[in-house]
Amino acid sequence: MKPEDQFIQVLENNKGILYKVANAYCKDTEDRKDLVQEIVYQLWKSFDNYNAHYKHSTWIYRIALNVAISFYRKAHVRKGYTDTLTESILEFSDTGFGEETEQQLILLQQFIAELKEMDKALMLLYLEEKSHKEIADIIGISESNVGTKINRIKTVLTQKFSTIKNQF
Amino acid sequence: MNQTEILNIWKAYDKKLDETLLLNKVLTTEVIKLKTKSLLSSMKPIKVFTIFIGLFWVFVVGTIVGNLFLYAYSSVTLFFLLSAGIQILLTSIALVIYLYQLHLIQQVDITEPLVKTQKRLTSLKSSTLWVSRILFLQLPLWTTFYLSESMFRSGNMFYILINGTVTILFTFLAVWLFINIRFENRDKKWFKLIFEGKEWTPVMKAMELNHQIENFEKE
Repeated sequence: MKPEDQFIQVLENNKGILYKVANAYCKDTEDRKDLVQEIVYQLWKSFDNYNAHYKHSTWIYRIALNVAISFYRKAHVRKGYTDTLTESILEFSDTGFGEETEQQLILLQQFIAELKEMDKALMLLYLEEKSHKEIADIIGISESNVGTKINRIKTVLTQKFSTIKNQF
Repeated sequence: MNQTEILNIWKAYDKKLDETLLLNKVLTTEVIKLKTKSLLSSMKPIKVFTIFIGLFWVFVVGTIVGNLFLYAYSSVTLFFLLSAGIQILLTSIALVIYLYQLHLIQQVDITEPLVKTQKRLTSLKSSTLWVSRILFLQLPLWTTFYLSESMFRSGNMFYILINGTVTILFTFLAVWLFINIRFENRDKKWFKLIFEGKEWTPVMKAMELNHQIENFEKE
């Protein structure tokens, strides 16, 4: 199998990560499209040096989150991409969830959007139910620090949902 | 709503993405074949060019000032020699910052953990502010290089007084800016006035992120 095909296969198996990261860090649809392209490009550049010691998902999360957090610095590069490519790497065959799930998901996404860059990364990894060790590997802090931060985020998240629920 | 319910919302979202999200393989192939330079590699030539110009400037002006000092000391003023000498020294410090930035560009690896990579990237960006601090330090030199001993001897006190006041004010301003241009003062009016504009936005954001990472590691 050619490296390009192997790479596309890895992306195909992990495309959800790209979408979730881009969605968490970019509100604007056009920016999001460009961010996904930038992530894909950076993943491809690092594909040769992929360290099999880590899972594909860990490797993808590291690069995707690093690119997403640094994306504000890339305004002029973004323009270059947009001029060249007008389509989107990720598309939906169908959209829409059940109404209740949709509302709750919007609330959850709003909550994520309000978080600072590093907390946002932590929150995404927590929701993905990654182990503390994997989160520590991706973010680069100790496992115990991950545990402390996750507990804090859980409390804020539960409070937020309870407040909103009480409002309705 | 408890944690399990919240995690279930995310699971449902994940499942839905799995079922409906399509990867455009043609476009993916196009993207990976693009010869677009990454931001970091595109920054390298600018830094190298600036270092080259800076070195050239330091070499040429340094040689001229050095030769004037050694062979024509009596025909040039001490004010000029000192002003030019300090200017060369400050430019050399700015060059060291650019070399440090090149070193950071070499060190950045996007596949490393977030804290490590982002620290390097934000340090790289926020070190740009150091260049501004150095540039501001040059301010008083522009009010002294043309002075001469004969000006003092001729005794135009009014002119000397005005020039001296401007030099003292510029020195105070330069030192004050050198000390106060830092992240903690980002919300002050004078800071925003100096660093407003699109080109400074990424630097400010980098500094904010740098501060955020420091706190993130501490907790």
